[in-house]
Amino acid sequence: MEQPANFLVVVLAMPMAGAGLCLLLRSARAVFAVLTAGVLATALAMAGLAAVVFGSGPLHAVGGWLFVDALSAYHLLLLALVFALSTVFAGRYFRCSSHAMDRRTARRFGALWFGSLAAMTLVFLSNHLGLMWVGIESTTLVTTFLIGLHRSRESLEATWKYLVICSVGIAIAFMGTLLVGASATRALPVPSDAMLWTRLREVAPLLDPSPLKLGFIFLLVGYGTKVGLAPMHTWLPDAHSQAPAPVSAIFSGVMLNTALYCIMRYIPVVEAATGGTGWSLRLLALFGAISMVVAAAFILFQRDAKRLLAYCSVEHMGIIAIGLGLGGLGTFAALFHAANHSLGKTAGFFCAGRLGQIYETHEMKSLRGTLRAAPLWGTGLLLALLGLIGVVPSGTFMSELQIAKAAVDARAIAVLVVFLAAAGTAFIGIFGHAMAMAWGTPPREAMAEKAGLLDGVAVVLPLALLALLGVWMPQTLRDILEQAARIVRPLP
Amino acid sequence: MTGYADFLLLAVLALDLYVVYTSRLAACVRASALQGAALALLPVVHYLETPSAHLAHVLIMAASALALKTILIPRLLMRALRDAGVRRDVEPFVSLHLSVLLAGVLIGISFWLATVLALPAAGSTHLFVPTAFATFLIGFFVLVSRRKAITQVIGYLLIENGAYVFGQSLAAQMPFVVELGLLLDLLVGVFVMGIVILQINHEFDHIDVDQLNTLKG
Repeated sequence: MEQPANFLVVVLAMPMAGAGLCLLLRSARAVFAVLTAGVLATALAMAGLAAVVFGSGPLHAVGGWLFVDALSAYHLLLLALVFALSTVFAGRYFRCSSHAMDRRTARRFGALWFGSLAAMTLVFLSNHLGLMWVGIESTTLVTTFLIGLHRSRESLEATWKYLVICSVGIAIAFMGTLLVGASATRALPVPSDAMLWTRLREVAPLLDPSPLKLGFIFLLVGYGTKVGLAPMHTWLPDAHSQAPAPVSAIFSGVMLNTALYCIMRYIPVVEAATGGTGWSLRLLALFGAISMVVAAAFILFQRDAKRLLAYCSVEHMGIIAIGLGLGGLGTFAALFHAANHSLGKTAGFFCAGRLGQIYETHEMKSLRGTLRAAPLWGTGLLLALLGLIGVVPSGTFMSELQIAKAAVDARAIAVLVVFLAAAGTAFIGIFGHAMAMAWGTPPREAMAEKAGLLDGVAVVLPLALLALLGVWMPQTLRDILEQAARIVRPLP
Repeated sequence: MTGYADFLLLAVLALDLYVVYTSRLAACVRASALQGAALALLPVVHYLETPSAHLAHVLIMAASALALKTILIPRLLMRALRDAGVRRDVEPFVSLHLSVLLAGVLIGISFWLATVLALPAAGSTHLFVPTAFATFLIGFFVLVSRRKAITQVIGYLLIENGAYVFGQSLAAQMPFVVELGLLLDLLVGVFVMGIVILQINHEFDHIDVDQLNTLKG
């Protein structure tokens, strides 16, 4: 398996090379050409890698430090899809006069964009828990400057909050990673093995439970900050609302999932070490429930379209956490829900961003009659929001139904009640906002230029996929999700 | 060579308290530089007492910690301080006397936590784990209880120093790359924070984080 294993290194090296190349280019146009070509090529390579993994099992490289199994391959697919769409959209978005870039900004944007792709890829490729942490850490540092790309007072405030809160979260996660390593001192005599996930997974029942438990709490809070789980979510609405729309799309579409993926990796280890009592699952479900409730409350009284989408992300991360916390069918549903959320949210941020450019505001009270003023973007935002709250036929409805079923199966009545109440509240809130924005009379000056073919692709493709997943799940996808869920799910 | 690691760790704790007690920003930065020096010595002393890691590894760690924590980052912060023209963090959210008291409580909690966890002791000293937790928690406290962006960076520095001490107690498990990752994180993190502070200062004419409050709800 030497050939496909080297492929891991290639997939990681491609965006890094792209980042370097962007710094050398002479025009903004060239930067976007390289970005599109580079990201699409990387995305294809990731899809190929994932196909190999689903077909013939996990791949290892670099002395076991890098590896891909079904869980990481599934996330790589999401990463590839969201990044490819966002890159295409970014080319259109930054052409608008209010967000036009000079050469220097474009170079910086290109390098940071490739850099964040590389950092997230590193997270999904690492078997070493320390390396995984390095990946998350570099994600934060690289994406910081993407928020304040167009410098304004508000975006600076958002940048500062993002930087400080997430840096602290990452330091907490570092302590957690160390504690997990410390719990393995007795079980793994060769010290260099103590942080390899595959080794930890094998010896999990022998790990020392008390440092491991404390470590998991640290990891849940630390990485949970980056996921946007309440009450550590406070950076999220600011950063998502101030960042340029393509950046918001990758933040919400994959960056949150990247951090949640790290937590997923620890679940089977902690469960096996604590005797399968469901301790870590309950903790995760608790954070999920808090996130859903907090998000639902803020959604009801929201005034800003992009902040609405941001709180919607908090809610959906909560849903995924609850799904994971229920185990069984819930794990499957949570992973499925992650795909639905990424699709809906990517399209949602694209449309909200373009509408923001057309109306020159994100205030929902001024965003009126979007269907008439900008048919593509208005319809896109309406459908994305409806899809996200789970109107039939959208994949979200199916995955939320499965999570509710998992809660019934597990007899977790309290979780079920919170889940239904919060999801219902968010449904009502978002439905009302979406309707109000779609109809009404648009202000005279807000008239969109004709949308191009690529605009259409960036909006229609994710929404069509989202609708398709609601009515038909291909057997291949079901197998992929089942394979991935088996890795997270604690063994009975 | 017994007892030197204990001495260094106690110095780290004392400097934590000093940072909590003083409102002069320059003194805070100097204290963090001094703490950085103690932390750079720590792996060396630890190696002399219980040679468990590779010497080259230890020396590179010590040298890079010294370069970053004692020289580069303090200079960066001093420059940011000068450019922003602030000297004191007046009116912290918690009074300085109360802060010291709370820091004492945090140290107590850390010692309790260390006994509960019963981690394998690193070499000759049992102070590693409590010092790590105390520095970590005090950093957290400084971060949330002060007004100026610079003091928040100092709080972040303390948090990272706590993680560093904890990493040292597990030096054998920690691969080199991850340790360097931590230092790099610190450097780039502080560097980025410095840049953002200057941008904030340029845009708002102050660096009071409690006045960064336009984004709500």
